[in-house]
Parts: sequence; C-alpha cells; structure tokens
Amino acid sequence: MVYEKLTIMQTALRQLFHWMPFLFGIGFIAPLIAQTMAYWDIPAPLGISRIAFGLMIGAPWGLYATLRGRWL
Amino acid sequence: MNEITKLQPGLEPGVGVSSGGGPAITLGQGDGLDAHTRRTLLQQERAIARKYSSNGKAMWPYTVITLGCFAMWLAFWPLAMLDIMPLWIGFPLSCIFAAGGYITSHEAMHSNIGRPGTPQRFWNEAVGEVATIILIFPFSMARMMHLHHHYYTNDPEKDPDYTDAAPGKYSAWYKTWLNRQPGVDGSIHHYKRVLERIGTPAAKKALRDTMLLQLFSMAFFFAMSWAGYAMEVALLWWLPRHIGLSYIRYWLSWAPHHPRTGTGRYDNTRVFRTWIGHWLSMGMQYHVVHHLYPEVPNHLTRSAYRELKPILEARGVDCSPLKD
Repeated sequence: MVYEKLTIMQTALRQLFHWMPFLFGIGFIAPLIAQTMAYWDIPAPLGISRIAFGLMIGAPWGLYATLRGRWL
Repeated sequence: MNEITKLQPGLEPGVGVSSGGGPAITLGQGDGLDAHTRRTLLQQERAIARKYSSNGKAMWPYTVITLGCFAMWLAFWPLAMLDIMPLWIGFPLSCIFAAGGYITSHEAMHSNIGRPGTPQRFWNEAVGEVATIILIFPFSMARMMHLHHHYYTNDPEKDPDYTDAAPGKYSAWYKTWLNRQPGVDGSIHHYKRVLERIGTPAAKKALRDTMLLQLFSMAFFFAMSWAGYAMEVALLWWLPRHIGLSYIRYWLSWAPHHPRTGTGRYDNTRVFRTWIGHWLSMGMQYHVVHHLYPEVPNHLTRSAYRELKPILEARGVDCSPLKD
C-alpha cells in the first residue's frame, strides 16, 4: 500500500517535471512578457490585454519546449 | 641546483647528457621516471601541499562573504519590489553572487571551511547549503557530483561533468546553454541520472533535495510573476542563474579540462593562460593544483602552483602557458 502510494507520487512528480517547461511558459514567461510590455508602454496587438498576449506567446513556447526538449 | 634537478640531472639548464653530467640511462619526464624518483617527487609535492592546505580557522572570510552576499541577495527582493533599489544594480550583483557562490560552495564540498568534527564544521555546511541556492543547485547534489568528478575525471561514462566537453571555446559556451535544455542529457539533468544510477541513501537524499529546491523555486517564480514581479524574478534570479551557470560551466569545467583526454593524475587538467586573468577565471589557470590537492583552498592555488611548478614539469605537466 505504502509502495503503491510512493509509486503514484513518483509518477505524479515525474509528470510534473516533464510538463514544467509548459508551466514555466504560463507561470513565468507570460507575465514577464506582459509586464515588460507595460514597462515600455507597448500595447498588445488586436486589442487584447497584455497578459492574454503574453499567454499566447508563453504557453505555446512552453509547449514547444516540452515536446521538443529545447526552448529554441 | 634544487632537489628536483638533483634527481633528474637532465633537467638542469645547460647540462645535457652529452656533456657527461647526466646519468648513463637518462631519466625521462612523466611516465618515464623511475619508481624512486616518482616517490621522492611525490613526497616533495605533498610537503609543499601541506603548507598550503586549508585551516578552518583561517577560512572565515569564505563564510562571511557567502552569508553576507546571500543576505544582500535576499534584501534585493523587498528593495526592488518597493522601488528603493533599481534592478540595474541588483541584476549584475546577483550574477556575481550566482557565479561566485559556486566557488565558496566548492570549498565546502571539499570540507575546506571546516573538517568533520571541528568547531568550523557547522559553517562549512552552512556555506555549502546557502551558496548555490541562486543556481537552484542543492549542496547535497553539488558535493556528491563534484567528488565523483574528482574520482573519475574525464571518464566519458563516470565523470558527471563530461557532458561539458566541446571542441572549442565558442562551442563550449553554446554547450553550457544547450546542456540546460529540458530534453538534453547534460548539466543537472545528467546529474539526476547519475544519482539515480548510484542509488545510495545519500544519492536519494540529493535527488530529493534537488526536487524540493526546484519545486520551491518554480513556485516562487510563478507566484511572484503573477503577483506583478516578473521583472524582479527575471533580473534577480532567472537570468543571474543562467549567466552564473554558463560562466562556471565554461571556466570551472570546460577551460581547465579541455580537451578531456587525460585521465591520469597529472594530465586530467591543463595549465592555461587567459586574458581575463586570475580573478575572473576564478583561479582556474592553476586547476592542476586543485585536482592534485583539493585541500588547498582556491585563493592559495596560485602560490602552491608556483612552488610546485618544477615538480609538475618533472612529472610531465606542460606549464609553458604560464610563465610565473
């Protein structure tokens, strides 16, 4: 029982670290883009908010890094 | 004539075998030395190294610098968030703390700040634990992997740092970045695999510490960024970490071990000269001394090298890049 719980936890943590670049894209890159744009007073295109624009860049970029294994 | 030239008459300037001053059978350098000469040189080498070995009581500046810099780095956060300190001040200092932290941590890895059982041991461990937090690199992993690097230097299979190998300096800088990519088996990803393979309780603890520090740092990054402080995170932690890691990977791993072909005691590092000098290269020009005698602290490797130089040359180390 304890061993099963440990295995489930290990699997969950492995999955969490596997998807970490995607989470990093959402959790850090998106707000960084939005706040950098705000600092330089750059409006987001198409009338969307800066954070929405940041998410449009950060989430797919993080997904790309997760799937390809590289950020560039 | 010093002791070494007495042992090896062929080394004496201006006196060759043909002059009649040398032995009937010449004593070659490096592996060509006979057992008696090798033993005597080793004794002389050890006597010099003992003079420069660390003394816990004299290593307090490492502790003060580490804890002081870490306290400053912690203070940068509220100061930057409250607009008391501009980020252009905090950013370069955080880069210096990130890269320099590895040097003080490195002394702790070799127990140079406090040997087990001494009153300084607590500070040795404290310095180790604190110094590489900016690098998101726990002390337990750093120490274990670094000692493995010493045991198996330049072994393609067993040296945890072998993934830093690169044919030239530009590719070496590129590799410092490449090795940190999520799907590349280099840097900390490689360390994790090595620790899993080792599988001892200490290795498991190092893996657990790494996971916890990574989870904590990512949670901090995400929470702070969504709270409106993404630029502070970027310039006080994220970028300094990457710059610091690249800097130490290049100067502490690639430069002193290139081309990573030698696995012997005297050829697993190289003596080199760099235009950035002693301090900015973090003393790595004399890395041969560190691999021979890790108990010699970083700030004394240059002095120890100068005294050891004739012996190193007798053992076949190419000391020509450094004139002093």
